[in-house]
Amino acid sequence: MEKRVIKKDALAGIIKKMAESTLVYAPVREEDNLLFKVLEKGMEPLLDFDNAKNAPKNFFFPQTEVMMRYMRTERGKELSTGEGEIQEAVLFGVRPCDARSFVLLDNLFNDPKYKDPYYIKRREKTTIVSLACVHPPYTTCFCTSVDGHPLSSEGADVCLIDLGDTYLAECVTPKGEDLLKKMGDLPKADQALEAKKQELSDAAEKEVNGAVPAHAIKAWLDENFENPFWDTIHKSCLACGTCTYLCPTCHCFDITDEVKKEDGRRIRSWDSCMSWLFTVETSGHNPRTSQKERWRQRAMHKFKYFVDNFDAIACVGCGRCVMYCPVNIDIRKIVTDISKL
Amino acid sequence: MQNPYIPIPVDLDKIITEVTTKDIKTFRFTFVNKEDEESFKYLPGQFGELSIFGKGESPIGIASSPTQPGYLEFTVQKAGVVTSELHSLEEGARMGVRGPLGNTWPIEYLKGKNIVIVGGGFAFTTLRSLINYMLHDENRSSFGKITVVYGAREPGLLIYKDELAAWEKRDDIDMNVTVDKGDATWKGREGFVPTVCKEVAPSSENAVAVICGPPVMIRFTLPVFFELGFSKDNIYTSLEMRMKCGIGKCGRCNVGSKYVCKDGPVFSLAELDKLTKEY
Repeated sequence: MEKRVIKKDALAGIIKKMAESTLVYAPVREEDNLLFKVLEKGMEPLLDFDNAKNAPKNFFFPQTEVMMRYMRTERGKELSTGEGEIQEAVLFGVRPCDARSFVLLDNLFNDPKYKDPYYIKRREKTTIVSLACVHPPYTTCFCTSVDGHPLSSEGADVCLIDLGDTYLAECVTPKGEDLLKKMGDLPKADQALEAKKQELSDAAEKEVNGAVPAHAIKAWLDENFENPFWDTIHKSCLACGTCTYLCPTCHCFDITDEVKKEDGRRIRSWDSCMSWLFTVETSGHNPRTSQKERWRQRAMHKFKYFVDNFDAIACVGCGRCVMYCPVNIDIRKIVTDISKL
Repeated sequence: MQNPYIPIPVDLDKIITEVTTKDIKTFRFTFVNKEDEESFKYLPGQFGELSIFGKGESPIGIASSPTQPGYLEFTVQKAGVVTSELHSLEEGARMGVRGPLGNTWPIEYLKGKNIVIVGGGFAFTTLRSLINYMLHDENRSSFGKITVVYGAREPGLLIYKDELAAWEKRDDIDMNVTVDKGDATWKGREGFVPTVCKEVAPSSENAVAVICGPPVMIRFTLPVFFELGFSKDNIYTSLEMRMKCGIGKCGRCNVGSKYVCKDGPVFSLAELDKLTKEY
C-alpha cells in the first residue's frame, strides 16, 4: 500500500483546486446541518467536522433517480432512453463507517447474478477519500461493535489520517493511487509516522463503544422470530422512516412511473420497511400487519438476514438512527437487550 | 452491462377472456425483437414483470410453456393499477416484460416420478405451464403418471376450458375437474378440491404433489396429502408477495432471509417450514 504525506495546511487548497476541474462532493455546512453536497468552485472543503447528517450512499444510490425515459408512440408508450451517463467524481471526507457501508452495499447491488448498473456505474466513476476518525465524533459511535474501526480504510480509495500537522494518505486501491498522483508530488511516509498512526489508532479505538453485542445476538435471532420481546420495542415508533433514510446501509427502494404529456419516466426512490405500504398487496393482504412486524424486520434484516445472505452485519455503527430518532429508539439498546434474553 | 430493469418490448398479440365474470384474461405476447425471443429461456414456475410505461409493473407467473415457442402467455386478474390498464389494452398494443424471473418448478427432481397437480381458482397458471411442458411429446416419457385435480367456485370460473377438454380426452393424464357448485349445464364433478383429492387418493409412492390455490384451499388440502403419505419434501407450492424489482434488491418480498422473487417463488413445504411465517 502506497503511503504519502500531505501537509495539513495544504489539503484544503488541493481539494479546492481539484473541484475546479472535477466534480467533488464534500461535507458542507448548511444552516444547522452538515451535509454532503457538491463542492462549488471556490469553496474550501471542511476538514474539521464530526460527520454529515446524511449518509453518502446518496451518491451511488440517490434518493430518487431516473431509471429510464419513455414516450408515447402509435403503438403505446415505448422506451426512449435507458440510464444516463455518469460523471467522474471524487467523494471527499467520508468517515470510515460510511466508507464501509459501500462495501456492504456492493454485496447487494453488485451480486454475481443481477448487477445493478445504476449503482455500479456511479461506484466505478467515483473515487472515495475518507477521513479517519482520530477522535471519534459522537458518544453514539459504535463502529467497533460491528466490525469497523475509526481508523479503518475499508471501502475507501484513499484514507487520510490526521497526524497533527500532517495527513498520512494511505492508498487503498489503484483508483486512489491515481488520485494521489493528481494531488502533486507528495513525500513518502516514513516509519515514524506509521508508529504515530498506531498510537492514534489504539487511542481512538478506546473512545468508541465496542460493547454492543451485535454478533452475539445472531443465534437468538435465528430461533426467535416469534418471541414476546418483539412486543416491547415498537410501541413508541412513529413509522417516520428517519432511521432508514439516514442509514448508510438501508437499500430498499420503490419503482414508480411519472408521465407528463407525451413523455414519461420510471424512477426509483428510497423506500422504508417502517411503512405500512411497503408490503401491502393489491388484495389488501399485508404480511406485516403492525409496527411490531416492521421493527422485527428491521432488526432481523440488519443482524440476521443480511448476515445469512452476505456474511456481514448490515450496520456500520454510525449512530445516525440513534441520534435522530424522534422517539429515542436506540438500536444499541435493542441489541444489548436481546443479548440478555 | 445488461440492465435488468429495462423491459423487453413485446406486442400484445391475443387476448382470451377466460371467465364469465370477464376479470380474468389470458394475454399472449410476441417479442418485438427476434434476439429477445431467443434469449428469453424459461421453465414452468417462473414469472415475469409485466411492464406498462406510465402505470408500472406487476409480477405475474408465466402461463405458457417453453414447449410453445414464439410467444409468452400470462393469465391475469384485473385487480390493481397495472392489471386494470392491461385489461383495457387491445390486441396490437406494445408494452414490456422483464424476465424470466425467479426459480422454477423442480423439473429435474420431478423427472421419473408420478406427478400430482392440484390447483384452485385462477392459481392454475404456472401449473398449466407445467402440465403442457410434461405433456409435450419430447418430455412425456420423462414423467410417470400425471394426476390433475383442478377446481373453481363455479363452472364459469374455470380457466383454460379448451385445454381442460383436450386433456380430458388423453389417456396419459388423469383429469379431475371440479366445481364447488355446478349449474344447469354442468355435467362434471361437484365438490371442494380437498374432498376431491381425498376421493382421487393419488398414491404417494414415488410421487410429488404440486399445489397452488387460495390459502383456504391449501390449508384443507395439505392434511389430505399428509394422510396419503406425502412427505414435506415432496409437496411444492409457489408464494406471492408484493414485489418491485424482481431481482432481490428492492427489499420488500423477503420471507426471512429468502427473497420470494429471487430465491422463490417455488418452495417445498420442507423449505417453507424453515422460513418464518410472514407471507
